Amino acid sequence: MSAFKRDKKEEEDSGGNPFQNIEKTSVLQEARIFNETSVNPRKCIPILTKLLYMLNQGEQLSAKEATDVFFAMTKLFQSKDVILRRLVYLGIKELSSIADDVIIVTSSLTKDMTGKEDIYRAAAIRALCSITDATMLQAIERYMKQAIVDRNPAVSSAALVSSLHMTKFAPEVVKRWVNEAQEAVNNENVMVQYHALGLLYHIRKTDRLAVTKLVARLTRMSLKSPYAVCMLIRIAAKLIEEEGADNSSPYFQYIESCFRHKSEMVVYEAAHAIVNLDRTTSRELAQAISVLQLFCGAPKPTLRFAAVRTLNQVAISHPAAVTACNLDLENLITDSNRSIATLAITTLLKTGAESSVDRLMKQIATFVSEISDEFKIVVVQAIRALALKFPRKHSVLMNFLSAMLRDEGGLEYKASIADTIITIIEDNPDAKETGLAHLCEFIEDCEHVSLAVRILNLLGKEGPKTKQPSRYIRFIYNRVILECPSIRAAAVSAMAQFGASCPELLENIQVLLARCQMDSDDEVRDRATYYSNILSKNDKSLYNNYILDTLQVSIPALERTLKEYIQNSTEEPFDIKAVPVVQISKPDEQDTKPKSEGMLISSGPTKTAPASREEQFAVRLSNLPDVQSLGPLFRSSEVIELTESETEYVVRCVKHCYARHVVLQFDCLNTLNDQLLENVRIQLEPSEGYKIVNQIPCPKLPYNETGTVYIVLQFPENDLPNSIGTFGAVLKFIVKDCDPATGLPDIDEGYDDEYMLEDLEVTLGDQIQKVSKANWGASWDEAESTFFEMEDTYALSSMNSLEEAVTNIIKFLGLQPQERSDKVPKGKTTHTLLLAGIFRGGIEVLVRAKLALADGVTMQLTVRSQNEGVSELITSAVG
Amino acid sequence: MGLFQKLVNLLGVGRKEVNVLVVGLNNSGKTTVVNSFKSEEDKMTDIVPTVGFNIEKFQNQNLAFTAFDMSGHGRYRDLWEHYYKECHGIIFVIDSSDRLRLVVVKEELDLLLQHPNICQKSIPILFFANKMDCKDALSSVKIAAALGLDKIMDKPWHISASNALTGEGLQEGVEWLTQQIRENLNVKH
Ligand SMILES: Nc1nc2c(ncn2[C@@H]2O[C@H](COP(=O)(O)OP(=O)(O)OP(=O)(O)O)[C@@H](O)[C@H]2O)c(=O)[nH]1
Ligand SMILES: [Mg+2]
Repeated sequence: MSAFKRDKKEEEDSGGNPFQNIEKTSVLQEARIFNETSVNPRKCIPILTKLLYMLNQGEQLSAKEATDVFFAMTKLFQSKDVILRRLVYLGIKELSSIADDVIIVTSSLTKDMTGKEDIYRAAAIRALCSITDATMLQAIERYMKQAIVDRNPAVSSAALVSSLHMTKFAPEVVKRWVNEAQEAVNNENVMVQYHALGLLYHIRKTDRLAVTKLVARLTRMSLKSPYAVCMLIRIAAKLIEEEGADNSSPYFQYIESCFRHKSEMVVYEAAHAIVNLDRTTSRELAQAISVLQLFCGAPKPTLRFAAVRTLNQVAISHPAAVTACNLDLENLITDSNRSIATLAITTLLKTGAESSVDRLMKQIATFVSEISDEFKIVVVQAIRALALKFPRKHSVLMNFLSAMLRDEGGLEYKASIADTIITIIEDNPDAKETGLAHLCEFIEDCEHVSLAVRILNLLGKEGPKTKQPSRYIRFIYNRVILECPSIRAAAVSAMAQFGASCPELLENIQVLLARCQMDSDDEVRDRATYYSNILSKNDKSLYNNYILDTLQVSIPALERTLKEYIQNSTEEPFDIKAVPVVQISKPDEQDTKPKSEGMLISSGPTKTAPASREEQFAVRLSNLPDVQSLGPLFRSSEVIELTESETEYVVRCVKHCYARHVVLQFDCLNTLNDQLLENVRIQLEPSEGYKIVNQIPCPKLPYNETGTVYIVLQFPENDLPNSIGTFGAVLKFIVKDCDPATGLPDIDEGYDDEYMLEDLEVTLGDQIQKVSKANWGASWDEAESTFFEMEDTYALSSMNSLEEAVTNIIKFLGLQPQERSDKVPKGKTTHTLLLAGIFRGGIEVLVRAKLALADGVTMQLTVRSQNEGVSELITSAVG
Repeated sequence: MGLFQKLVNLLGVGRKEVNVLVVGLNNSGKTTVVNSFKSEEDKMTDIVPTVGFNIEKFQNQNLAFTAFDMSGHGRYRDLWEHYYKECHGIIFVIDSSDRLRLVVVKEELDLLLQHPNICQKSIPILFFANKMDCKDALSSVKIAAALGLDKIMDKPWHISASNALTGEGLQEGVEWLTQQIRENLNVKH
């Protein structure tokens, strides 16, 4: 033991980081040495290294600090020292986004990139690309084109990759380099060929025809670079998906032919592509799976890893095919590489039978402590899938999870365990009490604040509904005594939920809340006072609205409207109803998105979540004339296609709903390279009652660009039934024929033309925003006396199952299912679907649909809403 | 100057390094001027407008010059000042055939002379009345008058008519500058 300790100490000493204690101010101070008349590389190199280290550790510089040190660094161009110069390039790249006037080094870098010193050239290109913007690109265009076809492969690769980055801000300029990229595809060097194909594809990717041609040409020419072949396989796979092609398509045949390629990487890529295609049949699958099966037994760990990882990923979608590899996977359980072993076991878990669960769980337990967090998460996900598949196994799995919870681990890992426990609780009522008990135990000793807060929220929501709510109070109150302010505040909110839902606990809760009013933290005291006051009123409706139901507005929108409110200095009180409610995101959205793009262009490390779609639209729309006067944006619909795919003009529509108006956004794409469109409009024939308030045409629409036409309409006044309508639409424009090469029109005069679009509907769902009620039952009961109720019975003869009926009703009404009532338990013949939402204008809507299966589905629909007309509209729309 | 230093200078070893800043409006010929100072094998063949700046090295007598050849484009003139502090001399290039912009030249020159990092120092300024070969070129005397050079009291200055394409007039100017800088350095020692 003592020997072990000493080892550890020595390790720390020798591996000690020389930059451990560097400090921003002193580094910036030291960097002044760069300004000296004659540069001393021996002194400057360590300082510049420190600066780079510091920036990479995430130290933030102000624009002034960055600019000062940047200009000092520019003076190092005097020195001919190779190492120093290369560090300068790195420094330029790091500071390019923070410092001002970074273009100052343009000429110096162009000189290096075109100079004789080969060591400088590639790195100078990369640095140059990081300081250039669209206006400056013209000046270096000539050099970029030359560099792309340079004889030196490092230079050519650097230029190609930099060009790819630059398409982000100057796609039009980079497009002009397509000939050079084309030439580089023929390069002998494997990397250059790969990078060239990457750029070429990126330039062409919005033009389906061009991509098809590219793939057709390259598949015939037999690329030398295995990397390029892998890329080509990905492009081909994407085309198959987009075209909905089957196994007779040439792309498919190309991928299949790659099974015989001599590079293992390519063979793997082909197998990977085929198992991931949406519509592969078992025959094609068999070949790909047998490749993966072969790789499972390969001596190279990378191959085994790649194979088992792919099998793991498709285990849910193709269980039968994966089961065929069971024997090979069993062999990998004891693989000395723990990552491979983990993936093998979790794959077996996903496909295995209930009887094998216990054995496999025991296997995992033997080495779970040896694997990294990332793979522990894989294990957790497999357990989640298992729990949903075999509900009876919940106690084994739950025990395992709670043991994992007690171990060391990062936030992401712990959060994934907690998420899994929560999913199991929600899915399986039998597991609820044990699950909550595990979570209670966990928060006793949980180092992750955000996770503790989430669990407290869950306890507040679920605890009151259990058989013995009182047992949770102790756990929650302990947090008030022991934790940091944000956890204490969450604990106070959780206790208040118990107070509001369990009358027998109210008195005790009030005592605890009174103690919390003495807390040292403002937020905790404020919450305690707030809840204590409401609870003392003994009013169910107050409880519902101010304790159980939380704020449903979208937070960014709230921030924006509050800012506007403060700036406007009006006397009127702030109206929370005017703030758009938050759109409930679909959970599967994040999972599916990165698939196709991610395979072709890496997205880099994830950045902070972008503003919600609605917020982005809101900002864009508010720039249009007079749209601000319409009030806040209430809801934006999904994108609707108004043209068939692959037509001359592509038109898509998004319907933006306001309290009394709807704004139609038509995004139009011109796919004809010999036409320039001008004054593009949409001629709309609105249905009865609608009034067109404003139209904003798109002045110019060149080839391959998207332009937008807006139409602002007013909903029929005092006539809700007519708010559901169908509009005819025609695209109108002036055509100018032009030269495909330059995009310039041949003549000044154009001629009028038009193009029929599909009809456009404004539906009930467009006017409703989904919301979640914390306690639907309580809201429903309360609404009985205050809301307008309508009821009707319907025979949904075309529906064959309860599930089908549920899905269709949700889609049609655009309401949010509550209390997981969208899940129909297996084998039932009756079901009750509970829904909630808000109609434009801030009108709350609650709906209960009682369904019975008997020769089709019969439905009794009860609607309660704050407005009689809206209740009527919903019942009549269903009929 | 000690005897040893004298010897060193005489032998040309331990050459002194000095920085000069090359400024002037765009298209006045700065890069062309600097280029003609460089040795044959280092010369660039194709000169394009400078974006930002370029660093070039050349020698005159026993001084090693590092020239900061700045861009004269309106958008980048504000950036000259980042390099004022460390320079030992300034080369200010004027296109003598560009009569129209002579007022702009004067404006930029005045700004330069008033800059805190320049006005305190007695650094030499060499003016090249460049492009003297052009037929409507103003004489160096006229240019000196137009720019009011006679009012510069606290700094040594000199103006040479030059043709950067042939090299005419450049040598005379740079020799004057070398002399001035060397004197400045010696005073310090
Ligand atoms: N006739 C003539 N042309 C000259 C002379 N000196 C330079 N030029 C030309 O003037 C043009 C501009 O020269 P540059 O050296 O690029 O000018 P610059 O001052 O460096 O310009 P920026 O870098 O944009 O600030 C080039 O076409 C040169 O060939 C000269 O003495 N006579
Ligand atoms: Mg220049």
